[in-house]
This record gives sequence, structure tokens and C-alpha cells, in this order.
Amino acid sequence: MEIPLAFLPENKEAKVIEVKGGRGLVRRLSELGFTPGARVKVLLSNSPGPVLVDVRGSRLGLGRGLLMKIIVDTEVNS
Amino acid sequence: MTIRVALIGNPNVGKSVIFNALTGGRAHVGNWPGKTVEKKEGICRYKGERIEVVDLPGTYSLTAHSIDELIARDYIVKEKPDVVIDIVDASNLERNLYLTLQLLELEANVVVALNKFDVAESLGYEIDVQELSRILGVPVVPTVATEGKGLRELLEAVVESAKGRKRVITVSYGKAAEELISKIEKAILKDRGLSSRYPTRWLAIKILEGDEEVLKEVERSPYKSEILEIIQ
Ligand SMILES: Nc1nc2c(ncn2[C@@H]2O[C@H](COP(=O)(O)OP(=O)(O)OP(=O)(O)O)[C@@H](O)[C@H]2O)c(=O)[nH]1
Ligand SMILES: [Mg+2]
Repeated sequence: MEIPLAFLPENKEAKVIEVKGGRGLVRRLSELGFTPGARVKVLLSNSPGPVLVDVRGSRLGLGRGLLMKIIVDTEVNS
Repeated sequence: MTIRVALIGNPNVGKSVIFNALTGGRAHVGNWPGKTVEKKEGICRYKGERIEVVDLPGTYSLTAHSIDELIARDYIVKEKPDVVIDIVDASNLERNLYLTLQLLELEANVVVALNKFDVAESLGYEIDVQELSRILGVPVVPTVATEGKGLRELLEAVVESAKGRKRVITVSYGKAAEELISKIEKAILKDRGLSSRYPTRWLAIKILEGDEEVLKEVERSPYKSEILEIIQ
């Protein structure tokens, strides 16, 4: 199932499909590791403020608005 | 002789542990000029050489997106350290090598410390260190900073690299992009000032990427319109 990363439940692994946004945003997020195929997991999202995400083995805090632009597939093995 | 060395790497790769091991924990802590980001400097002595070590902020990339990235990039471009130790997390190579590539494009004199080698081994990764060194065109030294392993070899590689830069590896971006890159480079070369301050290929790539800081530099060039015409 393809959903925005903002909607991924905590501790469930997913795979990045694409980043929806302008050139600058796509580039920035890819530098942080959000490239197609990269594995992601939401570690902590129940508090206000940034959501803690694991991408390619690094932990990053990102705003929810940004997470809406990252589309992931919850079927990791497809 | 004094060798000026900068430490750089993604966040959490072990920069501080390596900095402390090299400098014996005796650091001068200040701020980067005009910035509130901490700047740590220390001295290391090895085989009669005095090695000045600067710890750069942890960063995933060298685009001018954040203060940390800009500090790291400015330091490398403007201060031109003799050697840049790129600390790479051996257990997460793919992610970390992105920064390495950017350092190579900046034509920094890079020595790669393949840190957390113990973690990579425990994950069952088999890294062909020699082959990696051949592909990157720079020395690669496995280290386990927390156990002090590989640090002597790292210093040896630093001292050796400080004596002279080897050839720079270039990564090709494909025919279409390469044609643009060489056109832009030609236009940049006409501006002696600009082309002496930065590697021209790096400038050309950054212009294509729309890098704001680099475009500001181009704005000041007498050859501005000639350079920008190519990317219209
Ligand atoms: N197993 C293992 N752990 C290491 C090694 N090097 C560093 N560490 C650990 O990795 C963590 C991060 O190390 P730091 O030196 O703080 O990393 P850093 O690059 O300075 O991190 P930031 O300054 O936050 O970007 C610490 O818990 C270290 O003990 C290593 O070679 N092997
Ligand atoms: Mg540190």
C-alpha cells in the first residue's frame, strides 16, 4: 500500500517510492537518504513537534508537513 | 612542518572519538566566526610532525542548505586544509559515501577512515578496503575509534597524503550533463579569480544544481552572462 510517510505507524518498516515536491525538496530529501528504495521506519510520532524517523540507518527529526511529501510502500518485499 | 587536518563525516560516525584520540582530548573550543556552531581545534604530534586538527560539524552533504554544511564547505574550499579525514561509518557505507563523493568533487585531499569497522564485521559485511581505495583514488584506513584501532595507520596515511595530492577521480554524470559541465567550465576559466578560488568542475556541477551560494559568486563575475547563458 502506498501512503505518505506521515501516516506510517510507528516501528513498521516501509520503502520509499518517491518524494513529491520541487527540485530543491527532492534533492534535499535525497541527501538526507530518502531515495527510491530506501528503507524507512517511524520511531516516534506521538508527541508534538518533529517526528523521529530512521532512514538508511540514521535517525532524523522531520516535520509532519515534510513527511506528507514522502510516499512510501508498506509492502517492503514487493 | 605543520599539517592542517580537518575531520568531517555524517552525524554519529565517531568524529568526536577520533578527534579526542588524536588530540589527547586537549581541545580549544570556540565558535566559527559569526556563527554559534562550536569549533573544536586540537594538536596532535606524530613522528615529529605537528598536526593541527579541526573538527567540522557533522553533515550528510555539502550543499549550502544549513549553517553546518556551509561551515564545513567554506572551511574546505577557503581554508584548504592539507588533508581532510573523511570519517565513514563502515556499517553504513552507501549513505556515507555520498559525502565522500562531494569531498572528492571539491578536490579536497581526502583520507577515508572506515570507522566502526567492528560493527560492519559483526553485521557480516566484508569490505574490500583495497578495492574501495582504488575506486575512490584515496587512502582508506579501517578504524575502530573506541578501541584506538587503526589510528596509527590513519596518521601514517595523513602524513603521507600531506606530501602531495594524487590524481582526482571524477564521476561522470552522463553525456548530456557532461557536455554542459565542460561548456560551463570553459566559461568559468575565463574568470581567473573565480577559477583560482574553486575547482572549476565543482563550480560547474553546482551551477547546474542551482546552488545558491555558488550562483551568488557567479553573479559577481564579469563573465556572469556568458556562464548563465549555458543553463538557460
Ligand atoms: N562500535 C564502535 N562504536 C564507535 C566507534 N567509533 C565511535 N563509536 C560510538 O559511536 C557513537 C558516536 O560517536 P561520536 O564520536 O560521538 O560521533 P560523532 O561523529 O562525533 O557524532 P556527532 O558529533 O553527533 O555528529 C558513540 O557512542 C561512540 O562510542 C567504533 O569504531 N566502533
Ligand atoms: Mg561529535
